[in-house]
Amino acid sequence: MPKLQLSRVTKSYGAFHALKAIDLSVDPGEFIVMVGPSGCGKSTLLKAIAGLEAITSGSIVINGRDVTSAQPSDRGIAMVFQSYALYPHMTVAENMGFGLRMANRPKEEIRVAVERAAATLRLTDQLEKLPRQLSGGQRQRVAIGRAITRSPEVFLFDEPLSNLDAALRTQMRVELASLHAQLNATMIYVTHDQIEAMTMASRIVVLNAGRIEQVGSPLDLYRNPDNQFVAGFLGAPRMNFLAGTVEAIVGGVATIQLAGASAYAMPLRPGADLAPGSAVTVGLRPESLTPTDGAGIPGTVRLVELLGRETILYVDAGPLRSVGSDTGTANLTVHVASAVAAPPGAAVRLRFNPDDAYLFGGDGLRTLSAPKSI
Amino acid sequence: MYPRPIPQTARAARALYVALVAAILVVWLAPLLAIILTSLRATNDVASGNLWGWPTEFGAVDNYERVFTQSPMARFFLNSLMITIPAVIGVLVLSTLTGFVLAKYRFPGGRAVFAMFIGGNFLPAQIIMIPVRNLMLTLGIYDTHWALIIFHVAFQTGFATLFMRNFIAALPGELFEAARAEGASPFQTLRHVVIPLVRPALGALAILIFTFIWNDYFWAVVLVVNDTVKPVTAGLANLRGEFVSQWNILSAATVVVAVPPVVMFFLMQRHFISGLTAGAVKG
Ligand SMILES: Nc1ncnc2c1ncn2[C@@H]1O[C@H](COP(=O)(O)OP(=O)(O)O)[C@@H](O)[C@H]1O
Ligand SMILES: [Mg+2]
Repeated sequence: MPKLQLSRVTKSYGAFHALKAIDLSVDPGEFIVMVGPSGCGKSTLLKAIAGLEAITSGSIVINGRDVTSAQPSDRGIAMVFQSYALYPHMTVAENMGFGLRMANRPKEEIRVAVERAAATLRLTDQLEKLPRQLSGGQRQRVAIGRAITRSPEVFLFDEPLSNLDAALRTQMRVELASLHAQLNATMIYVTHDQIEAMTMASRIVVLNAGRIEQVGSPLDLYRNPDNQFVAGFLGAPRMNFLAGTVEAIVGGVATIQLAGASAYAMPLRPGADLAPGSAVTVGLRPESLTPTDGAGIPGTVRLVELLGRETILYVDAGPLRSVGSDTGTANLTVHVASAVAAPPGAAVRLRFNPDDAYLFGGDGLRTLSAPKSI
Repeated sequence: MYPRPIPQTARAARALYVALVAAILVVWLAPLLAIILTSLRATNDVASGNLWGWPTEFGAVDNYERVFTQSPMARFFLNSLMITIPAVIGVLVLSTLTGFVLAKYRFPGGRAVFAMFIGGNFLPAQIIMIPVRNLMLTLGIYDTHWALIIFHVAFQTGFATLFMRNFIAALPGELFEAARAEGASPFQTLRHVVIPLVRPALGALAILIFTFIWNDYFWAVVLVVNDTVKPVTAGLANLRGEFVSQWNILSAATVVVAVPPVVMFFLMQRHFISGLTAGAVKG
């Protein structure tokens, strides 16, 4: 039985549809990460599951019980907010025990629950402090502790680490992952951080404009995005998108002419709806492009980011055309897994294996190239 | 950088500043000082016109004693307390409730209700004087403490609601969502989250409303006539007839009347703590 089942969940603010018929089934123990651009409805969906926002239509079932119109406290959820939302006048212990106190649980039970959560989160020494006496990371742990004490069926996190600095974020990411394993809890986690999404998720849900674009394991989404939006959203640096035209299709392999460059043969997925002459977008991950001494796409290095272990090259690739670029020329991002000395202004040639390229086109810019092995 | 450290500003400017502050203080406090000094003089000095010179005898104890023994001041004082304290409590309770609802809940007509609370403040007392008096007569509470208590609660709650609503609206919204998600009822949220965080506002409002009501003269004259219910402001005017030229007694009575708002300020002072919401959000 799924832990959480969303069916056709819709939320409208007047004429504006913040959530459009969301369907999602979450199994017990899953760590679901929701990503999507700002304003796409991530927080709204989380609040709808929590019961803080009433949904316009659809149903929400938690642990086999229809909670669509239940109060937030009757849903078996606990929510951790982006801003922590700690009660500033209560001690850490009072903050963590608040939910149980509101439910009129016996004092002893509250104390035990708070102490156990505090031990899990290494907050035992901080129990008598006020939130303002804690560091950002400790505050975030208190907010999580407040969720744990209530032993919810489902944890909801709304960008919980976005207020922390980079080092602390990395540390908390690891702690959250181990907490998930330790509690064996079902978690739904909203973030706009690529690394959090890729490293923590059992499955990633990509949202866009109130709709689910794709659901799948991190690697699955990365290797086989359903459409151009997902391909562009996952992966940093972003995938390069180039304009191309279909020249011919023979036996499931399309010959694609890149605007201003040579033609490449790319295998299509079965049933790809593509005819010769149609315009397509070719997607190339930065790591699929390699500088070469032989034949390749000519370009000029504009900027080099030496990251030590790896290098990012920004290349003006003259005759090519980027999709959505109005300057007419293409700017390619190239990721090289070693240190490369290429001064700005240097000429480079880039090659790629057509099997690594993606092809997007048609309705909703769906992926038309053959699926890639993971 | 602003504000600049004091030593950086010119010497002359600093001297001018100090002088100006002193001058304003003198002008502002002179009437108060005159009354306090007069209240310490004996009747003979006042009668012979020795208002500013060294007194021939000190009448302080005698003056203050006479205020309470030879005039109904003690009764007026008690009346004022019996009117002001319940009215202040009533205003604080009601405005916390209305402020909370208007700040954090959306409901049809919410804005209209809020506008009415604000608009009520602009009604001139002279216009509603007769209707209010008639209303109190109809209710059968004209010339009782209740008339003033109910009127002041009704009249002050408008301003107090505006004050509390704005204060509560400034509290982080996620605190309320967190409380709701944790199963706190609206009343529990009010009690455990809102009230502890708006304590400074409640303290300030208590002083303000206390002073308004305590100092009210207009309605004290309009709604009560009997000495047994009259508050100090109306009572003080009575004394002017009784102790025609005994300024020392009138001054002593005036000082007595001015004491409670000051006491109120010191009582409420400990609630003025800044940064109560620090640590709630961000970090
Ligand atoms: N109370 C509201 N009234 C109207 N529109 C809202 C309301 N709350 C959110 N929205 C809109 O819904 C969309 C989704 O918001 P949200 O879920 O907060 O986005 P995010 O994915 O960044 O968390 C946004 O376009 C936002 O403007
Ligand atoms: Mg959000």
